[in-house]
Amino acid sequence: MIAVERLVKSYRATRVLHGIDHAQARGETVVLIGPSGCGKSTFLRCLNQLEIADSGRITIGDITVEGGHAPRTREERERQGQLRRRAGMVFQQFNLFPHLTVLQNVTAGPTIVKGANRAEAEATARELLAKVGLADKAGAHPGQLSGGQQQRVAIARALAMQPEVMLFDEPTSALDPELRDEVLGVMRRLAEEGMTMIVVTHEMQFARDVADRVVFFDRGLVAEAGTPEQIFLAPQNERTREFLRKTSTR
Amino acid sequence: MSTVSGLGRRMLRTLFTATALATLLAGAASAWGAEDTLAAIKARGVLKWGADAEGGAPFVFPDPQQPEKLIGFETELAVTLAAKLGVKAEMVQNQWDQLTPALLRGNFDLILNGLELTPENQQRIAMSRPYFVYAQQIVTRKETAGLTRLEDLKDKAVGVLSSSVAQRLAEEAGIAGLKIYPGNVESFRDLKALRIEAVVLDLPIAIHYAKPDATLKLAGPAFAPGYYAIGVRKGDAALLAALNQAIEQLAADQTLQRIYEKYGVWDERQSGLKDFQAEVVEQKAAISTLREWPKYLPLLLRGALTTVELSVLAMALAVVAGLGLALARLFGVAPLRWLATAYIEVIRGTPLLIQLFLIYYGLPEVGIRLNAFAAAVLGLGLNYAANEAENYRAGIQAIPHGQMEAALALGLNRWQALRHVVLPQALRLVIPPVTNDFIALFKDSSIVSVITMVELTKVYGMLAMSTYDYIGLGVMTAGIYFALSYPASIFASRLEKKLGHDCR
Repeated sequence: MIAVERLVKSYRATRVLHGIDHAQARGETVVLIGPSGCGKSTFLRCLNQLEIADSGRITIGDITVEGGHAPRTREERERQGQLRRRAGMVFQQFNLFPHLTVLQNVTAGPTIVKGANRAEAEATARELLAKVGLADKAGAHPGQLSGGQQQRVAIARALAMQPEVMLFDEPTSALDPELRDEVLGVMRRLAEEGMTMIVVTHEMQFARDVADRVVFFDRGLVAEAGTPEQIFLAPQNERTREFLRKTSTR
Repeated sequence: MSTVSGLGRRMLRTLFTATALATLLAGAASAWGAEDTLAAIKARGVLKWGADAEGGAPFVFPDPQQPEKLIGFETELAVTLAAKLGVKAEMVQNQWDQLTPALLRGNFDLILNGLELTPENQQRIAMSRPYFVYAQQIVTRKETAGLTRLEDLKDKAVGVLSSSVAQRLAEEAGIAGLKIYPGNVESFRDLKALRIEAVVLDLPIAIHYAKPDATLKLAGPAFAPGYYAIGVRKGDAALLAALNQAIEQLAADQTLQRIYEKYGVWDERQSGLKDFQAEVVEQKAAISTLREWPKYLPLLLRGALTTVELSVLAMALAVVAGLGLALARLFGVAPLRWLATAYIEVIRGTPLLIQLFLIYYGLPEVGIRLNAFAAAVLGLGLNYAANEAENYRAGIQAIPHGQMEAALALGLNRWQALRHVVLPQALRLVIPPVTNDFIALFKDSSIVSVITMVELTKVYGMLAMSTYDYIGLGVMTAGIYFALSYPASIFASRLEKKLGHDCR
């Protein structure tokens, strides 16, 4: 389903990803953990092409994109678009479109990108909003919602494009603790329904409960990977142990 | 003892204050004329004479060989007259059609600059005996035939100098396509650019500018002779008497003839100067345009209509072109980006006046002939486009980068993300500055009178010139500008509130 081979990414002189390999099956939920600055977010952003890798290869479903340069030809741009459509992204800061209603936020992707019929797109959007528990907020503007509600709309917005993979980039870090559970609950249900997910998070409880596999990133490399039991109960790598010790005291 | 001295001190102080006040008033009075102007001239040793050297040949103009030095038959006359008074002459530059108000303000002692001896002029100022006999002359292109009399020009486009005798004669003759120029040179340019068919103007100017030009000709005989005389403030009787005496002597001893021959403007008519007899001018009551508003307001409103048309069209152009420029500067490929940046910086870094001159007078030289209205819309619009582009750019850059990323992540391409996500938000942000710019453009539009557009400010100027009621007309004109721009700013703040609310 997802195959990443020797992904390398630098920002000017600083190398952030030192050659990441990653393979993931359909329906699998993978949680990325690691100290800040270890490259987990950059990895996600490379997957949906918000960052262009220096080298390496990314495959999602039937689409493969090579790193090296931003798309130059029409064909390369088309391929990049295909890859993005297969990956839905949820951001730390929600990034809802403030000038549109909640409903319009969710229908924007299908109507603009796929040219979907407006009535059909709205019907689908209402279903998705019901699924994230916000059926009654369709006519509201994002500014009228709490952070947790906004993030749930953002999830519905990404789902509206019917992605094959959902990427979550620290989806609860900007939320007050009492609002996190409503977002994590939505994510948990998604995972149970069989969505393929990559989640960057500091929510260790979520990782323990929901992840099929936990990957520990350290200094731009995958330091350790395994089931939640392996990583949390019997970490092999000294850096993993140290990281877990620090986070558990929080 | 102490009370007496206290009283004495108080009296002394009062006396001192009164004396100081009287001195001040006397000083002010002398600055404002009365009979003391002649004394003031002699005291300072300098005669200040007002004139316009811009396009001022052969009257007053910079020597082509030594541009910092002024020459011309009036320059020499001023120097000669000053010498007769035992002082030096100093020219004070002033736009020609504003010479009278400037004299009344006290900017200089007298006007010596082709000022016609007419009853109209003598309503506000006193005039000396004439020093020159002028006549009106029609000038056309070489190949034009049959335009030799004022009657021939009735349905033609004709250029005249603002508030000149030619303007008055042309208006009286009912010439439909009258175009009014602030200077002498511009009308000849438009004549050659085929924008107008003829220019009517004072003979000396025609002789100087048109005679040496092979593409132009003096059409028909000169007509409607009249006199140039020196203007002074009313009440400057001593100065006027001194000037009259000096002019009479210069006419008698042929000094005038010598000066005029040097500039090629001496003719048979000038010999009449010696025998001039002044006529008594009937003084009319001052005009109050406010009291007679039904006569003046419609004229101002017609000018206001032009101002509105001009501003709305120019702003529409600016808003559309500005968006294109901003997008090119922010997202365009390399050469396009450079071009947009260069355009914005150059336009913002040069005066609007120069840009208008280039479009109106410069473009015809490369074969692009726009009428005044089109040139005005284009000039204002392209100028403001650069400002609007910077407004848009600031607005677009103020939208958080996450918005673009979220749109791209959804699968929108860059253009779709701009169009559906970034621009709608940026446009809301730029509504206040763009509206402010519209109000500014609305007021800036008065500058287009330099390319012969007659809009609100120009109408005001023309009416003020003929009625001398600067205050009454000024109140009406300012009232019209305010009545038009205030609703725009109300509308903008409502719109801003409404959109801002939607955004939240």
